[in-house]
Amino acid sequence: MQSYISIENLAKSYGVVHAVNNINLGIEKGEFFSLLGPSGCGKSTLLRMIAGFETPTSGVIRLEGTDVTDVPAHRRPTNMMFQSYALFPHLTVGKNIAFGLQQDGLDKIEIKKRIDDVAEKLQLTALLDRKPAQLSGGQRQRVALARALVKRPKVLLLDEPLGALDKNLRTETQLELVRLQRELGLTFIIVTHDQHEAMTVSTRIAIMKQGQVLQVGSPANVYEAPHSRYVAKFLGETNVFAGGRAERNGDTLQIDSNEAGGQVRATFTDRVALDAPFWVSVRPERVALATSGTGLEGTVEQLTYTGVERHYRVRLNSGAILDARRVNLGAESDLGVGDRVFASWPPQASRLLAE
Amino acid sequence: MSAELISSARMGDRWGKRLLIGIPYAWLLVLFLAPFALVAAISLSTVRLGMPPFEPLTAWDGSILNLRLNFENFLYVLTDDTYLLAYLTSLKVAAISTAVMLLIAYPLAYGIASCAPSSRSLLVFLVIVPFWSSMLIRVYSWMSILRNDGLLNALLLKLGLISEPLRILNTETAIYIGIVYTYLPFMVLPIYSNLVSADRTLIEAARDLGCSRISAFWRVTFPLSWPGVAAGCALVFIPVVGEFVIPDLLGGADTQMIGRAIWLEFFNNRDWPMAAAVTIVLLALLVVPIVFFQSRPPRAGA
Repeated sequence: MQSYISIENLAKSYGVVHAVNNINLGIEKGEFFSLLGPSGCGKSTLLRMIAGFETPTSGVIRLEGTDVTDVPAHRRPTNMMFQSYALFPHLTVGKNIAFGLQQDGLDKIEIKKRIDDVAEKLQLTALLDRKPAQLSGGQRQRVALARALVKRPKVLLLDEPLGALDKNLRTETQLELVRLQRELGLTFIIVTHDQHEAMTVSTRIAIMKQGQVLQVGSPANVYEAPHSRYVAKFLGETNVFAGGRAERNGDTLQIDSNEAGGQVRATFTDRVALDAPFWVSVRPERVALATSGTGLEGTVEQLTYTGVERHYRVRLNSGAILDARRVNLGAESDLGVGDRVFASWPPQASRLLAE
Repeated sequence: MSAELISSARMGDRWGKRLLIGIPYAWLLVLFLAPFALVAAISLSTVRLGMPPFEPLTAWDGSILNLRLNFENFLYVLTDDTYLLAYLTSLKVAAISTAVMLLIAYPLAYGIASCAPSSRSLLVFLVIVPFWSSMLIRVYSWMSILRNDGLLNALLLKLGLISEPLRILNTETAIYIGIVYTYLPFMVLPIYSNLVSADRTLIEAARDLGCSRISAFWRVTFPLSWPGVAAGCALVFIPVVGEFVIPDLLGGADTQMIGRAIWLEFFNNRDWPMAAAVTIVLLALLVVPIVFFQSRPPRAGA
């Protein structure tokens, strides 16, 4: 079945640099879709091609089945919220929001109605007569959002929309964006380099690297089941050890790891070939530390208290580092720096990764 | 560092600032206000034979200091048709040539600003390269181009576009050609520097909101370039009003501009007080557009 937005073999090269390298993606109606990756991974270029600001070197972009690849930006049913907000400094907030509607030739009564409507939704009613220079960062961000939303686009494109906000306002705005998106039932595509932001707002995330999409999935899926070491490390923290000889025992694998200095257990999978080099990954919050018992032996080297949790950095006997986290449930830590510990985790917590 | 040292360092700092601010004020005082006061004083004096060719304003009469202010020159300037006509002609010539320059300079500046950064500096250099030779020489070259048997007429005759030489030199057209040619860079540069620093994302935002390239220009680029346009207009309009050399060399006897009137009063009639009065009225006239351009609200968000 054809997706709402379908990106087929899309590529963009600048000379010999492949900014976007043969990407295929399907985005469904009503999704809040994230393009996540470090700077220079091609996520912004991809977004700008969807908006119509960049012409692809090859490939096709379809919207509701229609090929829009060669449709210029001003005729696409998409609207963009720019990283710098790009508010028109010579126009008031109200006229900024009206800009696109006037361009569409709507009558004055309809324009006023729509502006009042969106201004109320985004708490801008009192600011309509101000100039952008007189607004705070958060207010500008809401004006930029209002200006794009008032056009009722089929797809709203957001290019690092919250990058200029401070951390508290950012979290607040992320939740606000999700609420708006659900309420309006629109399709949002957001570009971000902040994995936490992508996890918070998205229905699905595409993780990009060097112009390619490495993995697409729901936040839980890409976090719990990364396909590659890169994705595992990019999304949150993880411990990764090179795996050695593996022995199957029913549903469980016993894996020798020289790097970890012992045996680790994992659930059997045929997704990863065990005769080729592979890695075992485990998230720090899944690691249990005990002063006795079995598991990988090591010494607590560092203990950090962040309020929400305690972070233990353990130097394993093999010399490798293992990170573990424990949610703060009010009790004092029974472990301190220098303590001997045994680290273990259930087989399901291990994730096998190919290169 | 001890407290005294800190405070003496601060003192030095404060004097340094005063000195820095003082330099432009001293400049204005010596090169603008002092000559202006002299001209104003002369304009209120009476013409006489001799050197200097005007009566002093004050006379010491044993025990009384007499101050004689003669307003006759101003009354004459403001009521005489010749001067009124010269003022109006100057304003008209300045207004029309400013408009023509704007029409040429804006597309030129826009074109340069749209070029790749590497070629921009060469193009800007080409705009200002005429300044490398004396303005007088360039105006003389225009005389030889525009003459009845000049280069332009020779070319047009050869091409068969005209059968008889056009009379351009010593007409108002020649004045416009000379002024537009000479002052054009002063219009191009401020507009260029405004356009080149314009935020390109704003154009993309306009395009995203449904503007074609042309409507994005009229709704965003052009209004935001107003400060550059205003600066360019002020930079050419004001000196053109008082322009003397170009109308004198290229224009005819029928186009009397105010700069020429001042020159004639000064050198031909040796009526310094009258020349000074004409100058003061001209200055008063020019203050109006300056105040107009200055009082425009500064670009919001800049």
